[in-house]
Amino acid sequence: MKNDVLLEARRRWTIYNLPFGPLRDCYSHPLPRANLDYRDTDYLALDLETTGLFPVKDQILSFGWVPIDGNRIRLEGARHRLVRAAQPISADSAVIHQITDDQAAEGEPLKDVLADCLRALGGRVLVAHHARIELGFLAAACRQLFGQEPLLRVVDTLALARRSLERRQQAYRPADVRLHALAEHYNLPQLAAHNALSDALNTAQVFLAQSAYLDTGKPLLLRDLLT
Amino acid sequence: MDIELIEIRDFLASHPPFDALPEDVLATLPKRLTVRYLRRGSKFPPEDEKTPALYILRRGAIELRDRSGELIGKLAEGDTAPSACDDRRIQRGIQGTTSEDSLIYLLPCEVLGKLRAEYPDFAAHFDQSVSERLRSAIDSVTERGPIAGTSLMTVRVRDLIGENLVSAAPETSIEQAARIMSEARCSSLIIMDNDRLRGLLTVRDLRDRCLAAGLSPQRPVSEIMTQTLHTTAADTLGFQALLTMSRLNVHHLPVMRDGQVVGVISTSDLVRFQSANSVYLVGDIHKAEDLKTLVATARKIPELQIHLVASGATADQVGQAITAVTDAINLRLIELAERDLGPPPFPYCWMVGGSQARREQSAHSDQDNALLLAQAPTPEQDAYFQQLAAKVTNGLNDCGFVHCPGDVMASNPQWRQPLSTWRNYFEDWIERPQPQALLNASVFFDLRALHDPEHLFESLQREILRKTSENRIFIAHMAANAIKHRPPLGFFRNFVLIRGGEHDHTFDLKLRGTVPIIDMARVHALSAGIPDVNSLERLQMVAGSAALSRDGAANLVDALEFIGTLRVRHQANQLRAGEDADNFLSPDSLSPLERGHMKDAFALIASLQETLGQRYQAGRFS
Repeated sequence: MKNDVLLEARRRWTIYNLPFGPLRDCYSHPLPRANLDYRDTDYLALDLETTGLFPVKDQILSFGWVPIDGNRIRLEGARHRLVRAAQPISADSAVIHQITDDQAAEGEPLKDVLADCLRALGGRVLVAHHARIELGFLAAACRQLFGQEPLLRVVDTLALARRSLERRQQAYRPADVRLHALAEHYNLPQLAAHNALSDALNTAQVFLAQSAYLDTGKPLLLRDLLT
Repeated sequence: MDIELIEIRDFLASHPPFDALPEDVLATLPKRLTVRYLRRGSKFPPEDEKTPALYILRRGAIELRDRSGELIGKLAEGDTAPSACDDRRIQRGIQGTTSEDSLIYLLPCEVLGKLRAEYPDFAAHFDQSVSERLRSAIDSVTERGPIAGTSLMTVRVRDLIGENLVSAAPETSIEQAARIMSEARCSSLIIMDNDRLRGLLTVRDLRDRCLAAGLSPQRPVSEIMTQTLHTTAADTLGFQALLTMSRLNVHHLPVMRDGQVVGVISTSDLVRFQSANSVYLVGDIHKAEDLKTLVATARKIPELQIHLVASGATADQVGQAITAVTDAINLRLIELAERDLGPPPFPYCWMVGGSQARREQSAHSDQDNALLLAQAPTPEQDAYFQQLAAKVTNGLNDCGFVHCPGDVMASNPQWRQPLSTWRNYFEDWIERPQPQALLNASVFFDLRALHDPEHLFESLQREILRKTSENRIFIAHMAANAIKHRPPLGFFRNFVLIRGGEHDHTFDLKLRGTVPIIDMARVHALSAGIPDVNSLERLQMVAGSAALSRDGAANLVDALEFIGTLRVRHQANQLRAGEDADNFLSPDSLSPLERGHMKDAFALIASLQETLGQRYQAGRFS
């Protein structure tokens, strides 16, 4: 959604129906306006490790997020949070994210981590790679815990990568738009995969590179980056 | 504290000056960083960065230029840009561009300041005098600290074995195994099953267990290999390996590193190492009765350099040892020539110049020599010296000391002259110095008598030194020459590299590193009338004079030792890999720490060149 006026109206309308709590706090920040220069916008790169791909039946295991102020990553705000799992973790998924039942048992309640994440997101644009997954899980968790989905502006680094390839009418394979392929393309260091924080940082770095490449000296607006 | 930023911490930990910080402090640093991305061709530092910070290049490359656009340096991964925290003018003076897409970490000046206040080792990188850093670095390049000479007591097994591991699978036929050994010219063969060491086959096994036993060579090699093996570790000292072998009565030991076989050490490797010792070589040379034997002995010089470096010798020790061998070959060639041609008609002195005179040779030095005759020769007498010179210079050439490209050799009649002519030559050079002529003649200002039974050389040398020490114009010309070759270091302490061609992205360790110091040492020695020609001795002799402070001299000695040692080490690596030795080093092959020290050494040379230039007003002549 790129229309500032409509989105703002929706935010104001929703806030009346929301109970006090983290989600309402998050709503109380005006959403970044789409016609702002992208460098005057704040972002939060987010990555979730989950037990699967379906928010209805799978659960979140960990959050990793990194704030980006315009064209700078601020590592000071980088966070990695483990979530206490409600159900045992399947062996298949443990192989990928390497979070074991024992570790997950040491995690915090989802509600606490989600609340902190929403706080960090307040006033910022969410940046994620293949954002549908993160959005789906955030929405499901918020609905379940706070009765309402969050209202967010989103930049999807995967969509940006596809768009730039398609604009150049270049054929590509799914592997070419994976996070690690993009990092290599932009001469970025490869951080270990499948840790929520390092993936969030990978995403943030790819986002810096993508926006730097789109920035041709003419005004580049948040609108041009939004999904 | 999130430990997930480990990767960033590890990156910092492996680069100076951050390697000097304690682990718990390092762990807190990633969170203090801001990360920026600059596309190739962007301005550096980025114009939209308002707060001063220390820039650390994480990925990419940055070229720094001065205000006139001249390339003054290049930042590579792990380098820090000149700290704008000390002086914002520094930052404004840089006109950098990223030559690759670059990821940059910014550490706020305030954090840097606190670290500098709290951790002296870390602060040292920013404010320790260059000389102190350099001195402690010399020990680190001479791998195991300064060690005199070379012996099995100090050399490690890993430095004695070849690079290539020759192996075969257990099911290989005996015949095939023998062929592999014969092609690789080795006396043993490692038998490996996938990555596992299964056995060892030696020439003796082939003889005793196959040929003498009448076993078919088509049988698998596993039937005759030795299966119960003793091994040795790559870090074992040579003499320990030798002890193990004699205790077990075996001649080969597989060498292991991290559980993997990396090679085989044999008794002959150990013996060969011993015989490459310069002492053994010189002994062989004295006994040599013909050129062929000398050539065979000279072939061991690269090996000598490899082993000296492996056992931790400094550049000076390597130079002294190799020059001792060259001198011995040269002297023996003179003796053999005189034996062939009969005694000379009158006394003469065989003089050597350049690196041989300075006792600073490395494997593959060329020859510079000349003859000083006791009197003017008749054509018949000159024919004798002509033949003598030809025999010796050609002999040296055969031994690998190739003919001098500038023809500065005793075989050239111009450089085969009586004392009176030499006197005129020097008078001309010193009193009427012409820059180009001086450049060619500079080899004669490092001159040493190698064979001089009648002591003809002394009076010539005394006269040269009297003249050079009295003639300021001459010294100014020499000084102008000495500061011609600047170290490859930009204004911001970054390497300026050769671009394109065969030696892309390297710098010339000799021309831009050791030569400037050797040149400066020569100017100081000639100006002070000091007869020594070895650069270290020259610098030690002039230390504390008006021209060169005690500190300045000590710093130059350290810089020469450091760069020279990197050079002999670089060459030893090349020789060991079977390549020709050269002087072109890529900064990438240095550890970040060594790179820092290298920059220190270069910075030091540049500043002392500056002083020299000012002192002798060299600028007027350059």
